[in-house]
Amino acid sequence: MPNQNGSLYGLTILSPIIDDENATPSHDLQIRDYLAQLSTREDSPFAMAPGTHLARLVVMDDVIYVGMPSCEEHLKSKYLVFESNCDGDLDTYLGGLADAIPTHLDGIWGHCVGYPKQGAADRQAFIHYMKACQLETTFYFAAVNDKSVPATLKALQIQTAVADFIASHQGADPATLQREFIDFAAHLRAQPAPPPGSLGPHRTIETGGHNE
Amino acid sequence: MSNINGKVYALNVITPMKPWKTWILRTAFFVLDHVKPLQNDLINLSFIEFARWVIIPRDAFPFLGNGQRPEELKYNYLLFFSNFNGTWNQYIDAFSAVLSKGLNLIWRWSEKFPGSVPVTPFKQYIAQVQFDTDYYYTAYPHATANDLKSAHIVQNSFSRLSTFAAQSTPQQFAEAYLQFVLQVQAHLGETGEAPQVG
Amino acid sequence: MSKLNASDIQGFVLRGYNLPVARYLFLRLEDAKRGRYLVRRLLGQITTGQRWDGGKPSVTLNIGFTFRGLERLELPLATLITFPVEFQQGMKQRAGILNDTGINAPDHWDPLWRDEHVHVWLGINGQSVEALDSCQAAVQLALDETGGATLLATQEAAAKVVDGAPTTAEHFGFTDGFGNPEYLGVERSSQPGQGKLLDDGKTWAPLATGELLLGYADEAGELPVAPVPHLLASNGTFMVYRKLHQNLATFREWLDQQSASYGGGKEKLAAKLIGRWRDGTPIELSPDAPDFPMTQDPNRSTNFTYAADAAGTRCPMGAHIRRVHPRDAFGFNGKLINRRRITRRGLPYGSFASEDQPVADTDDRGVIFMALNASISRQFEFVQQQWIQYGNDSHLGNDKDALMGNHGGHGRLVIQGDATPANPPFVCSHLPDFVELRGGDYFFLPSITALGMIAMELVDPR
Repeated sequence: MPNQNGSLYGLTILSPIIDDENATPSHDLQIRDYLAQLSTREDSPFAMAPGTHLARLVVMDDVIYVGMPSCEEHLKSKYLVFESNCDGDLDTYLGGLADAIPTHLDGIWGHCVGYPKQGAADRQAFIHYMKACQLETTFYFAAVNDKSVPATLKALQIQTAVADFIASHQGADPATLQREFIDFAAHLRAQPAPPPGSLGPHRTIETGGHNE
Repeated sequence: MSNINGKVYALNVITPMKPWKTWILRTAFFVLDHVKPLQNDLINLSFIEFARWVIIPRDAFPFLGNGQRPEELKYNYLLFFSNFNGTWNQYIDAFSAVLSKGLNLIWRWSEKFPGSVPVTPFKQYIAQVQFDTDYYYTAYPHATANDLKSAHIVQNSFSRLSTFAAQSTPQQFAEAYLQFVLQVQAHLGETGEAPQVG
Repeated sequence: MSKLNASDIQGFVLRGYNLPVARYLFLRLEDAKRGRYLVRRLLGQITTGQRWDGGKPSVTLNIGFTFRGLERLELPLATLITFPVEFQQGMKQRAGILNDTGINAPDHWDPLWRDEHVHVWLGINGQSVEALDSCQAAVQLALDETGGATLLATQEAAAKVVDGAPTTAEHFGFTDGFGNPEYLGVERSSQPGQGKLLDDGKTWAPLATGELLLGYADEAGELPVAPVPHLLASNGTFMVYRKLHQNLATFREWLDQQSASYGGGKEKLAAKLIGRWRDGTPIELSPDAPDFPMTQDPNRSTNFTYAADAAGTRCPMGAHIRRVHPRDAFGFNGKLINRRRITRRGLPYGSFASEDQPVADTDDRGVIFMALNASISRQFEFVQQQWIQYGNDSHLGNDKDALMGNHGGHGRLVIQGDATPANPPFVCSHLPDFVELRGGDYFFLPSITALGMIAMELVDPR
């Protein structure tokens, strides 16, 4: 099943964008504009809906002409590419999007051909529409293919905390070490995992700033 | 627009393929999928979080009617989406240096592919067939593939030690703790912001 | 591969002179015409790469130009724009990429680098300070006679002398000078560990010449991207110059304080930071104690890999030499690192202080770091950005190099160990800044032919 790698699903969706000469700006530009204003961090729609590890949205204007002796050809529509690396079952994932972020889905895919009239409020129609635009992933590679988003975030949190614990308990006597470790473990278990899409706990280490 | 979010880069590539060559590529992917040792190099180049190839036959572009004009194409298209850590140059340098045969096997069926060695014409080709990401989300921008793998190793060891902690004497715990530190000592790197690239 | 024409390549590029003292002069060119005249005047004195089989000269002279220097000389615009972006920008503008932030930011640099635009570097190496003086006097004469440039500043540097002989010791007490790569056609003799690993994982061969010199095939199997015309770039290279101040007091205090709780003791802790004991013995080969004879044997002193030490128990994963020359630590028999090597030339500056002498961080001492490479961005900048100020390739996340990183008091080094009391796992936290950047820039070191072209205004764009 090439779309699946372990518990990770490689969802590839290509949605034709409405081509309407009378739309000003055109629908593809409207999608671009909507995406440009969307947060990519904790308040991203994909952070609010469950199951997305990494996802991208790309307005694909056309195929690319690589030059002679290849033939030049063009797509008749622009397409919105949605590449998502998500947890588990496709229906659950798509349904999860419809439940959590219907307004954003409408804002993005509302510009695409055949999008349900009621938008994501019509959960079944939304899932059906997305599947109609789905491409089969031919080969899918995942470095870590058996951990969900919440499990991953928790593991990262534990790693940071453990490193700090080891550093601060060097040379501790066994009784103190054990007592403090038990406290530490209980506290860590109880602590909620950090929200998806965040840069992790604030650290004062600078590696040079943002990439954006 | 940004191709980068935290420590991960979203690369999108589209290349045309003559339809008759596509079945060879499908076979290559089939073999790659089912002969796991062939994936070792990909796994050992530990900077890829997720990557996928998608073959779109020329008649398989999604068509939803409603006034959409159906596509009339000569070529099939190969889409490649990668989510990798590090810089664009570093990524392509690495592939060209150690995975050139695998890359050639996948892309030689695409029109005008110059080969993955030497690296400069290869980079020029990729720059030509790359298109940019409008929106890129990651649930863990502060962590790389290496960080993820390390995190799971640490969590595993930590779980086991936690269970043991409650039931042991201090001396037993101290010994177990040393073993625990030895298990995780190579996996304690900080996570955080990525180096600035431009 | 064609034989190198050593008479066309500047000697500083081809070999470490191993002369005990140096002085670097930094010039600002006045205008194109007089600048060219100055270059013509100095051309005959530039030391080439020809061998000194008859004995070392008392003094050598070499020259390099920043991009602004080449602009001032009015090389054609079409030529100037073919120089790499990082060279055009200069090191100060690359501060973000190099993570020269915080204490290393250009605001904290010496006035020469912070405020001025340096055009020309003149490197004088010599047997004695008197020899340096006489060479500088000759240069000053040329400056006066041509009016081609103003001397902005000089920088002294000198090897530590022990029992009358120069050594390669640096201020923290480590023995430097082991890491230089070996290139095809450049060295007379081969030293295992300096070149690249072959597919058997243990034999070494020289690196492609093009990793150092422009105009020759490089490790990617092509002629590296270089400025045009070919004649301007061939036999030339790029140099990174960085003045690194060393906080010796902080280092000594820190080492004393940390080693009190480290089971292996002070010398071993120091060795774990770098990857070599202070006498230069590689800890990968000799993890328990220094082995001085090994350091004197070129067949052993650099001849090791990390394959048997994946966990870092002998040489920590974050040790300096393992970070900057990972050898086979990333797998693939080292193929991923062959294009990330740099040649270092450089000397300490400032007075040496023995262990019992009191020192202060404000004392003027450190190392003049100079790196030569065909591509500044692919080689030096990459190592600095990805392997020194960051650790992902070594599976160390954001952790920086313990000695060189700009930690700002928050750095961490994890020393992997084993269950023996003398080699425990050990975490050093709150690392201070042991080294601070005080300035520098990127220079182009042309061939003798290219210098002639520049001097005679014979550089044509294509």
